[in-house]
Amino acid sequence: MENNEQNVILDSISEGVFTVDMDWRITSFNRAAEEISGIKRREAIGRHCRDVLRADVCETGCTLRQTMDTSKPIMNRAVHIIDAQGKKRAIAISTALLKNSSGKVIGGVETFRDMSTVEQLRKEIAGRYSCEDIISQSHKMQNIFAIMPNIAESNTTVLIEGESGTGKELFARAIHNMSFRKDKPFIAVNCGALPDSLLESELFGYKAGAFTDAKKDKPGRFALAQGGTIFLDEIGDVSASVQVKLLRVLQERIYEPVGGVSSVKADVRVITATNKKLDQLVQHEKFRDDLYYRINVMKLELPPLRDKKEDIPLLVEHFISRFNRLQNKNICCVTNEVTAALLAHDYPGNVRELENIIEHCFVLCEGEIIEVKHLPSTVRPILKTESPGNTEPSTIRQMEVVLITQALRRNKGNKTAAARELGIDKSTLFRKMKTFDIKHPSYAQ
Amino acid sequence: MKTAIAIWNNYVSSAFDFSAHILLVEFENDKEISRSQILLESRLPSQRVNQLKNLEVDFLICGAISRSLLEMITAAGIQVLAYITGKIDDVIEGYITGQLEQSQFSMPGCWPGARKGLGRCGQGRGRCRRQGNQKNSEL
Repeated sequence: MENNEQNVILDSISEGVFTVDMDWRITSFNRAAEEISGIKRREAIGRHCRDVLRADVCETGCTLRQTMDTSKPIMNRAVHIIDAQGKKRAIAISTALLKNSSGKVIGGVETFRDMSTVEQLRKEIAGRYSCEDIISQSHKMQNIFAIMPNIAESNTTVLIEGESGTGKELFARAIHNMSFRKDKPFIAVNCGALPDSLLESELFGYKAGAFTDAKKDKPGRFALAQGGTIFLDEIGDVSASVQVKLLRVLQERIYEPVGGVSSVKADVRVITATNKKLDQLVQHEKFRDDLYYRINVMKLELPPLRDKKEDIPLLVEHFISRFNRLQNKNICCVTNEVTAALLAHDYPGNVRELENIIEHCFVLCEGEIIEVKHLPSTVRPILKTESPGNTEPSTIRQMEVVLITQALRRNKGNKTAAARELGIDKSTLFRKMKTFDIKHPSYAQ
Repeated sequence: MKTAIAIWNNYVSSAFDFSAHILLVEFENDKEISRSQILLESRLPSQRVNQLKNLEVDFLICGAISRSLLEMITAAGIQVLAYITGKIDDVIEGYITGQLEQSQFSMPGCWPGARKGLGRCGQGRGRCRRQGNQKNSEL
């Protein structure tokens, strides 16, 4: 078979295939290898395979080297690589020796399959999120990311404040998964969803006979979280009696199950969350001040989506990718008009609302591109496509004007702060303001 | 001025997310005054960032790096020169002379913004450290 025929065959398969010579330089690189790694064939050929594959085993246990040393092929070893988009991607690799017609070893061949879809689905099922899974380029979120390592490493109680749908549980899981408790349980409790009478027994468990129908002992969520992390969502909705018990757990690290006489030690890290302003609840005497000071040791304030609209395009791309995986569809993108409509919306429901909007579009979109007609009516009417004097953004330039204008307004005309928030250099902001004729005084409100 | 270089077998390690060691190099007046190899204690991004902060690293030179780890490191105030490849001594020489932008030191396939640190450091001898000093004084 000629080389051209071989190349056509190799370029038609979905597995990445590349070959190396005895100096570990890449000698061939098929189309699927380009797609999975994100590196063009012309950039890969002649380079050391370590510089192209960038796998976690390259330095600790290179599979190709093992095959070259032992002459034994390796099949389906799971590894991670860093692709050209800066994503950590799971792949499964197989290796074999490359021999010439005389049987002499002239190099090696490696094939690999993209396993990122499987890994992402597995992560979603297990809830094993980390900082890498939180999509944001906003300056406010970068400040939060900067302190996440310190928070994760400590055993400190954390309070996460943020509107509904801002990702409080995602952050709590990320903190847990970055901490030394990551291999222990993460138990989430929605304190607002349970009536007071049930919440106490749910959190602390009960002993047999504690009440009617309590036929045997039941461990509570604190017991289930032993060694790990308990996430108490909507902590602001907790009754006074449960607040007292929570205070005792946080102060003395012990609690009693309902109907129990012995205390149980709690080795649990507590992360709480609320969409209310707890300090105001304390002022109105609806929340104990001593409990507030116990849980407010480290506070993370998650900004609402309307304050970080620069994240919307990234989030849209993320949700499209997610729903493509779940629904086995192949939607690639949204039109500029859809992006403009999404940027103009205010999102009282935050990121969760944006996710619902994209899911709605997925139901209606039968092609590969989401259009305005696929948007829910709550978002669609904002974009008046044909009315004269329409001021809604419909081009990339107009979207930039909207983002810059809003950033300047939020920062009261402070261009340094606005540039930092938008993630661009101050000189770039100045240039864009001049190009788009955005006047400073008008937006310094 | 402390610079950490992700290292493996006398070469820049190919992916910082998976690197096991760094070479911590101290510079003064365009000259290397000391170097020591340090084990990276954990692959957990949070602990990796903390270790770099505790070592008072100003610059990190590394191979490929995931976006999330790069953002965590830069958020910690450390400048990153990423997607660098080559022998350690050649890279150090290139760093001192401001020549790390040259193709001989470039890894293939990197995302826009990954080599932002290089854009500021590309030209002129000692520019990196002058810029680094300026950045540190702003912090």
